[in-house]
Amino acid sequence: MPFHEKSAWIMTTALLGTSGMYFAVIVSLSNKLGQLAPPLLPLIVIYTVALIVIAVVGHLLIALFSPKDANAPLDERERLIHQRAGHWSGLVIGAGVIFSLALYLFTYNGHLLFYAVFASLIVSTIVEYACQIVLYRTR
Amino acid sequence: MPDCAVPDALNTVGKKHPIDNQIANLRKAHGLTQAALADAVGVTRQTIIAIEQNRYSPSLETAFRIAREFSRTVDEVFDWTET
Repeated sequence: MPFHEKSAWIMTTALLGTSGMYFAVIVSLSNKLGQLAPPLLPLIVIYTVALIVIAVVGHLLIALFSPKDANAPLDERERLIHQRAGHWSGLVIGAGVIFSLALYLFTYNGHLLFYAVFASLIVSTIVEYACQIVLYRTR
Repeated sequence: MPDCAVPDALNTVGKKHPIDNQIANLRKAHGLTQAALADAVGVTRQTIIAIEQNRYSPSLETAFRIAREFSRTVDEVFDWTET
């Protein structure tokens, strides 16, 4: 498995894990409050730090097992894979932002707008890494 | 919705590829592994595998590099059939 595919697996797993936990906390808080919980800076900081730590440790581990591959730039096929995955990711975030804006126009709920845009960003990034994995395995 | 804005050198699965090649045969004849050829050409082993299996069309530069490794012309390594 090429280094960049391993990297995509790490990022997909890290994003799914940390984002799942983040939104689970938001749902739990919202249930306690009886309304949608506001976005909390400390929670976002914890989420971001956890994601960075998992990504750095994960990449260090795979780089230790294949140091030569870790330093190698993307080759021509890998560049195309990343471009195509980025294309799909761009479509997803575009659709997510449009959906979020429409949601705001119907609800005028700023908290919901924040979560919708944040979720769009996360989903588009997951789609990018997932597309990379699929393309690495099928093309 | 368009498949992608980037050039379609990444072949669609199940679609017959118009560019065939003799890389696997030549590589074996020269006693080269996929990894060794990949190192010599400057791509990953997975890219060599994809080219050998007609899942990916290499750039012209890579095609020339591969041909040079086998001391052949590009025409002798790659074959294009118009579809």
